[in-house]
Amino acid sequence: MFFALTDEQQAFASTVTEFLAERFDLEAVRGVVEDPAGDGHPLTLWKGLADQGALAVLVPEEHDGLGLGLVDAQVVARALGAGVAPGPWLATVLAAEAVRIAGSAEQQSRWLPALAAGETVGTVALRGEGGAWDGSGITVDATSAEGESTSRLNGSASPVDYPAVAGLIVVAATDASGTPGLYLVEAGASGLTVRDQHTYDGTARVGAVEFADTPAEALPNGDAAAVRALLARGAVLNAADLVGVAREALTRTVAYDRDRNQFGVPVGSFQALKHALADLHVAVTMAEHAVLFAAHALDTDDPGVEIAVAVAGSKASDAAWNATGAMIQFFGGIGFTWEHEAHFFYKRARRRAPLFGSAAEHREALAALTM
Amino acid sequence: MDLTYTAEEEQFRQELRTWLAENIPTEWTVPGYWATLSDEESFEKRREWEARKTAAGFSGIQWPVEYGGRGGTPGMKAIYDEETVRAHAPQTVNVLGLTFLAPTIMAIGTEEQKAEIIGPMLRNEVIWCQGFSEPGAGSDLAAVATRGVLDGDEYVVNGQKIWTTNAMHGDKIFTIVRTEAGSEKHKGLSMLLIDMNQPGVEARPLKQMSGASEFGEVFLTDARVPAKDCLGEIGQGWRTAMLLLSFERGASGVGQYTEFRRQYDEIVAEAKRFGRADDPVARQELARCLVELECLRYHAMHILTQVEQGKDLGSESSMTKLQWSEAFQDLWEAFEHVLGPEATLSAPRPDVDLSPFHAQDHWSRSVTIWGGSSQVQRNIVAERVLGLPR
Repeated sequence: MFFALTDEQQAFASTVTEFLAERFDLEAVRGVVEDPAGDGHPLTLWKGLADQGALAVLVPEEHDGLGLGLVDAQVVARALGAGVAPGPWLATVLAAEAVRIAGSAEQQSRWLPALAAGETVGTVALRGEGGAWDGSGITVDATSAEGESTSRLNGSASPVDYPAVAGLIVVAATDASGTPGLYLVEAGASGLTVRDQHTYDGTARVGAVEFADTPAEALPNGDAAAVRALLARGAVLNAADLVGVAREALTRTVAYDRDRNQFGVPVGSFQALKHALADLHVAVTMAEHAVLFAAHALDTDDPGVEIAVAVAGSKASDAAWNATGAMIQFFGGIGFTWEHEAHFFYKRARRRAPLFGSAAEHREALAALTM
Repeated sequence: MDLTYTAEEEQFRQELRTWLAENIPTEWTVPGYWATLSDEESFEKRREWEARKTAAGFSGIQWPVEYGGRGGTPGMKAIYDEETVRAHAPQTVNVLGLTFLAPTIMAIGTEEQKAEIIGPMLRNEVIWCQGFSEPGAGSDLAAVATRGVLDGDEYVVNGQKIWTTNAMHGDKIFTIVRTEAGSEKHKGLSMLLIDMNQPGVEARPLKQMSGASEFGEVFLTDARVPAKDCLGEIGQGWRTAMLLLSFERGASGVGQYTEFRRQYDEIVAEAKRFGRADDPVARQELARCLVELECLRYHAMHILTQVEQGKDLGSESSMTKLQWSEAFQDLWEAFEHVLGPEATLSAPRPDVDLSPFHAQDHWSRSVTIWGGSSQVQRNIVAERVLGLPR
């Protein structure tokens, strides 16, 4: 039995965490937050992550990747969440996963090395406005004329991470028979429109993507199962980011409440805070376990993988939601100000919580699986 | 990550599974079977069965062979916890002795204590009770008032212990007694091992809200105990007690998960029977319970890993207690919420008996109190894990 990170995985986590502390701290994050018109994609950060192999984790070695699994990838996601780091890391990793899972040998050779090196930014468009995150919420149609290898996409997807800087968009679309599939659209393709949707989470850039007879290349193995596999991977890595946010929010809150004096004593000595923080510590720890287990379940095709993903998705959402709300409350007035960093954590948690399925959607999935 | 057990551990699982299949009567697997028996019948049946299990080599899984144990691994103990629940094996009748007293004796007992206490306990020849809590010493355990006065080479003990599991069946009781007159709090305490079969010891049952009487009160009136029957040094009872309580951890979460997950499935089956399984609010609440139970399972694997690596769990056991006890209680709250009025009826239909559910439901109120209440556990997590000031 070894339910833990290996020494190598822990070292990998430390590398990313130390890089962020040294090269992209909260002041740098603030620079991105306070420049809403900017692309939210600082190249120093991106190049640094690429140098550490953070973009290559899941890419097979034959395509210049590290050939590791989701347990390793969640290490990076957690570190980025803890650092409230901006940038299209998750979007790019998922785009590469789509190509790895469903692409042809040619597509893999063309895209995977570039995505692994950070030369191309990728993103995924898997759901339309108001839709569910289970493949049923797709609002893009794909058609292909007789004898043509290129498909045409019509419709829209939203919210999509970093569409403005993406060189490659992986789009989930349904064909004439209603079967979902995965398609590649390159930046600058005809009929492709990207509109910034201005998320309140300043650590990200999010937009709507519209397609009007946009040429696209189908991923040959991009069937309904591939769409679900991609959504499951997105749910676990998104949960890992949320767990990182939650742990860091809690750690900062505890540190502050140890020192902040009121009534002549540290406010952290009051049971009203102690018990709430203890409960949060348990919840965040359980969410960390859940993400680790779900990542492993996906890596090993565990028979209980669907339950594991839904547990991780709902538990991490709730933990981050509650920990970041508590952060603002237990910092008191200062935590409510713009100058304080609490709102970075709070807004990132709330933006991410509903992605790839909200806590309630994951719970409904659990009910469907066990009732 | 490697969530598998070794080949040797899996071999053990097969042996245990085979033995359990041959030694658990079918009627025992019917939900609520044990509740149909009187406390006395239930106890004697379990006592006899467990003694046979010991003879077959399936007790004291992690104990050294020299103490009659199997000399197994932490993984085997986890497998044991899982398989016994899965096979509907009854709960041990000597839980406090096996869980707490035995490992403490192995750690700090005299050679005589090791030789005389452990074997008979393992064979259920001697049933042990725990005498810690008193009417005036609950969460504040150091407030114990039971006194022991030296008279020759014996202590004469007077006082009252309460919430004593198996009080009516106990042969011996390990107690915290104030042996230094005038001492306060953690000082001047000793852990005395008192024979309950003597005129100075009277046990009375306490009826719980569930109607069962698993625990009771123990009155000590000039009870006598040889001074050599002290575990650890005289006056060092607090230190002995803390060591003893530290054994409430390890891989038990695996067994609890297995048991609670089965209860989840049983509650879901009742929700379906009474037409409540399609209600979105009910589904959300039950799924919320499932999330916490699955987290308990992952946490058990984490703890087993720590144990196998020889790491000291320290205050992490408070987190384990909070997770399992709160999740278990929430599950039974969900039972009430989801079934509504039918949940409150033992015979909502002629062919449906919900009384076993009520026994669990009402029992679930106790688990956040005994063994350190949730409030005490939260203080421990806040102060010793998070480092918040006292």
